[in-house]
Amino acid sequence: MTAFLQFVVDVLALGGAYALMALGLVIVYGILRLVNFAYGELIMVTGYTLFLLGGSPLPWILMAAVAVLMAVLTGIVTDHVAFRPVRTKSVTAVLITSFAFSTLLQNAALLLISPRPRSVPLPDIFSETVRLGGVVTPVRNLITIATAVVLLALFALLMKRSVLGLAMRAAAANFTMARMLGVPANLVITSAFAISGLLAGIVALLWLGRSASVAPGIGLEPLLVAFIATVIGGMRSLEGAVIGGFLLAFIDTSLNHLLPQDLLKFRDAFTFTAVILILLWRPEGLIRGPAAGRRT
Amino acid sequence: MKRWARAGSGVALVASLAMAAPAAADEIVIGGAICLTGVQAPLDEPGFKGAQLAVKAINDAGGLLGKQVRFINVDGKSDPVTVGNAAVEVIRQGAELIIAPCDFDFGGPASREAQAAGIVGVSMCASDPLYSSWTLGDKQFTLSMWNTTMGATAAEFAFNEKGWKTAYVVTDQFIAYTKSLSKYFVEHFKALGGEVLLEDIYTNGDNDFSAQLARLQALGQRPDVIFISSYGTDIAMIVRAIREVGIDSPVLGGDSYDDPGLWEAMGPKFGSEVYFVTHSWMGSEAHPDMARFLELYQEMYGAPPETAFVATGWDTVMMLAKAVEVAGTTDGDAVAEALRTTEFDLLTGKLDYRSVEEGHMPDKAAVMVQLTEGKPAFLGWRTPTNPPAP
Repeated sequence: MTAFLQFVVDVLALGGAYALMALGLVIVYGILRLVNFAYGELIMVTGYTLFLLGGSPLPWILMAAVAVLMAVLTGIVTDHVAFRPVRTKSVTAVLITSFAFSTLLQNAALLLISPRPRSVPLPDIFSETVRLGGVVTPVRNLITIATAVVLLALFALLMKRSVLGLAMRAAAANFTMARMLGVPANLVITSAFAISGLLAGIVALLWLGRSASVAPGIGLEPLLVAFIATVIGGMRSLEGAVIGGFLLAFIDTSLNHLLPQDLLKFRDAFTFTAVILILLWRPEGLIRGPAAGRRT
Repeated sequence: MKRWARAGSGVALVASLAMAAPAAADEIVIGGAICLTGVQAPLDEPGFKGAQLAVKAINDAGGLLGKQVRFINVDGKSDPVTVGNAAVEVIRQGAELIIAPCDFDFGGPASREAQAAGIVGVSMCASDPLYSSWTLGDKQFTLSMWNTTMGATAAEFAFNEKGWKTAYVVTDQFIAYTKSLSKYFVEHFKALGGEVLLEDIYTNGDNDFSAQLARLQALGQRPDVIFISSYGTDIAMIVRAIREVGIDSPVLGGDSYDDPGLWEAMGPKFGSEVYFVTHSWMGSEAHPDMARFLELYQEMYGAPPETAFVATGWDTVMMLAKAVEVAGTTDGDAVAEALRTTEFDLLTGKLDYRSVEEGHMPDKAAVMVQLTEGKPAFLGWRTPTNPPAP
């Protein structure tokens, strides 16, 4: 029973982080039909901002707020630098500019700070554990689960109840039509990037909180996770991204628990087999998005 | 007509190749294919700085064989093919000695090009036993101890010195380095009489140790020592995850732990009872020449070295210079022979290469470091008695 409870907490903590990562990626994809390959660097930027603020006397929560703000700004800059100038021209161009922007940010960190890992400040509560029904678990895991629940709820509220949310959903359903009806394209897209940055920034605090360190290549895994989760859940659906995130965490954690050591080496092969099976069954992912509209 | 044009451009290409080898008669060119960007950069960049410093020190002291030394590096970009091309490029520019990146996968291509050009190539810190004359040729070496030595040093430290009889081993499936280090630790630890309770697997980048932790907790007994062979920020994550739930067994690892960023990430709370085997120690107690090295480093870069890996680049250049002096030439065969027959006393320990038939196995000493509350302390030099065969 305790083992099962432990498993549930582990899956939910990992899944919460995965779901937020996936949501941040899919919100931009939903509107632009373009994957932001510089997404992982939002997490890196958050980490390095924390590192740079590390020596300062600021309380941690303020450092974290600044770091998340930097991720939001970087998200907006990504739009202005990599997407806006070329997004109406060709998909290939945007693919390349977003890769280029990702490389640029990574190498900037590498040259200006160091290729070696740097430690980030954490609040004491991130290093503490609680006993929960016989299970000793880091408080950080519970914070991750709570953060995911709160953010997902807020996000759902924003999308369903606010004018901006309505505009974004309209843009995701049919961008051209939305524009004709007076939805300002640039504002909606920039907002999507800002929200993407916000989600990435907050998830970065939790994700980097596990290792208490940041390195130039730290964003690769979150990007990959977000990408796979959205593919499973449905590239066009926000709910799909969240479900995909939790499902991927469930698959990964189960395999980590169940596979014998000899096979554990090949865990990723099993994960991707599961992903392929899901896609064979539901080629568009688990949840279908709105009827396909045209890209800008 | 077209054919003539092509022939003409061919001639032009040959001419430009010939012209692009401007190694002046009064200088010796050392070429590097060191990776300054990408995943390999954390290991290579410190060595690169050390190598530049060594070249400056040699030139300030009057050069080598009466000639000035020039060091050129083309970024290998952590891509094996690019590393090979970078080596070809520096050889074309007149390099007579090659410095290769710190890993078999990334450094091997540079050594292969050096071997093909008939010159000596040395990796700054590739520790996989694949970095040998068996795989790369009779003019190729690595400055680092092999993982056989690193793993055996860790095992002897654990079993003989500390009396730890049971071990839990985590192997990151990242690269040849992380896998072979565990393999040789386990082999030697068992040979000494130790018991390995569980060999677990971790995938680099997962950033999640929960399943492994559940297995560790389910062992029924606390292992005397936890050996973790991983790389980068994942080390900090694993150590923190283990310590967070109150498991305080000593943690042991290899040279990938040699990074102040990781020690800080473990911090005062989780960074105790952590031990690792590495190449050197940035303090005068490690070597009589260390104080001078640190002084020169401070002078050139305005800050003390971040990690002991800087010494690998310095040593590589200094060792090559010594071998060239002994050989009296930069000729590949002569320098390789000098490397095999000379005993070197380096910042990274005493080093003696075995013969071509024995793979250029480096007989080398290793440093043990202990972390207490995230602060490192030098435990001394160790040489394993009979490290396992590769």
